[in-house]
Amino acid sequence: MTLLRTLAGLGAAWLIAGTATGKTWEVCPSCPISSLRAAIERAAAHDTIYLAAGRYFEHDLLIRKPLTIIGPREAIIDGQNKGGVFQVSADSFTLKGIAIRNVSFSELEENSAITLLRCTHYHLEDLHIDSVYFGILVENSDSGVVRNCVIRSSTSGTDEATMGNGIHLWKCENALIADNYVTGMRDGIYFEFVQHSTIERNVSKGNLRYGLHFMFSNHDVYRNNRFENNGAGVAVMFSRNIEMYGNTFIHNWGNNAYGLLLKEIYDGVIQHNHFIRNTVAVQNEGSVRIRYEENDFYFNGWAVNYMGGAYDNYFHHNNFVGNTFEVSYFGRPNNNRFEENYWSKYNGYDLNRDGLGDVPHYPVDLFTYLAHEVNESIILLRSLFVTLLSFAEKVAPVLTPDDIYDPTPLMNLWHWSDSTTSTSALAH
Amino acid sequence: MFRKGLIFLLTAVVSACAPTVEPIDYGKDQCDFCRMTIADNHFAAQLVTRKGKNYKFDAIECMVWFLQDDRVGMKDIHTMLVADYSHPGTMIAARTAVYLISPQIKSPMGAQLAAFPDEATAQKFQQKLGGEIYHWEALHPVVKARKKTLQMHSH
Repeated sequence: MTLLRTLAGLGAAWLIAGTATGKTWEVCPSCPISSLRAAIERAAAHDTIYLAAGRYFEHDLLIRKPLTIIGPREAIIDGQNKGGVFQVSADSFTLKGIAIRNVSFSELEENSAITLLRCTHYHLEDLHIDSVYFGILVENSDSGVVRNCVIRSSTSGTDEATMGNGIHLWKCENALIADNYVTGMRDGIYFEFVQHSTIERNVSKGNLRYGLHFMFSNHDVYRNNRFENNGAGVAVMFSRNIEMYGNTFIHNWGNNAYGLLLKEIYDGVIQHNHFIRNTVAVQNEGSVRIRYEENDFYFNGWAVNYMGGAYDNYFHHNNFVGNTFEVSYFGRPNNNRFEENYWSKYNGYDLNRDGLGDVPHYPVDLFTYLAHEVNESIILLRSLFVTLLSFAEKVAPVLTPDDIYDPTPLMNLWHWSDSTTSTSALAH
Repeated sequence: MFRKGLIFLLTAVVSACAPTVEPIDYGKDQCDFCRMTIADNHFAAQLVTRKGKNYKFDAIECMVWFLQDDRVGMKDIHTMLVADYSHPGTMIAARTAVYLISPQIKSPMGAQLAAFPDEATAQKFQQKLGGEIYHWEALHPVVKARKKTLQMHSH
């Protein structure tokens, strides 16, 4: 027992010695150094500043050297709505544990709790950011982590023009954004010109515009995130090679509301995602070579809606259950293919008992045409007239594309598990 | 009764056609070019046709690209507005505005473009942000070239 304790003690001592390469400065309201600004000025490169519990009224803290700043959640930096709080341009900057509050809207500055400019190896963790215009803004930076932070906005969430984004990366590479909770912002997480980065296990909820937004960003992955009740769940725009695994898109409901919006995107994988009760689960405007594998589309208004520019998309082993419209599609088939998906609207049969329906399933409903041309006609959706019309159309298709179909619809739900997520599905 | 009905109908028809600028509802309206929700009142743009149809854009570059698609002819345009970067939320005439393109300007669609009501204001921001000043006509080829570099048409 004593031996164990000694070993543990030695281990701890070794850890402390190992991590703290520089000096440690303590800041508390009654200490000789009572402000973070003073500590930052005195600290040398690679020093550590420990911020004790208390309230610190500080803003526009400029950091130009490698530093570690840590403290408990009760160490609160109050920006008093006078500007941003941290503005960092340094190598190896770490900020951990503390709370940041009160960064107000500005017409010409993107005031944020934390701004990182041209940083490498940054590490932001366990931060509680509340009542801010922008949360974390990272520009021209490489290799960093934003983990386990909570970010909320400064307004009650009605005026999008005065709200900033939760975590906004601009021209960055090799970032990991994980386990954060972002709510009440414009976009929860926004990637603009960001390459080779990963977004995982975040919750983005109740944001005014998008839960997650990609723009001009290539070779990124987002997985196991939850997007709930945002203006729209995720918008992937003008981007290539984005992989989307195991995310939940739930209740993105209303006019212009989508679970996932794909606009001008190429070569993506959408696998093991749950789309539940969205007005439109996936909205497409220009999407090329997107592979949908083992996703659940449950109880959406439209499961998949194509507005044109769709080429070589492939749907395999997806479950379409209880959606008002399964697929909305106009124009030429453009090699968009569906194989072995489960469609709850399928009313075919399986005489040879191989689990696949013997007649194809046509997922494009006649009524999607009407609803597309005359929005208001949606009120006729459940009427006998439309049911008869749809039946007639099924028997003898005139308007609906007979080349958009699943030749081998599944008779039963496709069961998949997260553990089989392929890592190289892009190889398709 | 018939006459009353006719007058009502006529007023309805005439008022529907008179070109009026509908204010942009930030956070609700969608860009008619890129489909993004219009969010930032530093960068929005808008055009109204002679028939009264409003097109709204989240960025000035979106309006320029929209015009290049020839969906609306120049002669059919009644009003063309862009956001004044120096007074966010205020819309100014696009043809007389002065434009600044600078890497410091983060316009929503990546053209790094903002508009100002006059040369003096644009120069003031140029001193702070750097970049080049353009007038409406000269702006088009530059913004068009920018679209190519953003690789928006790679199919």
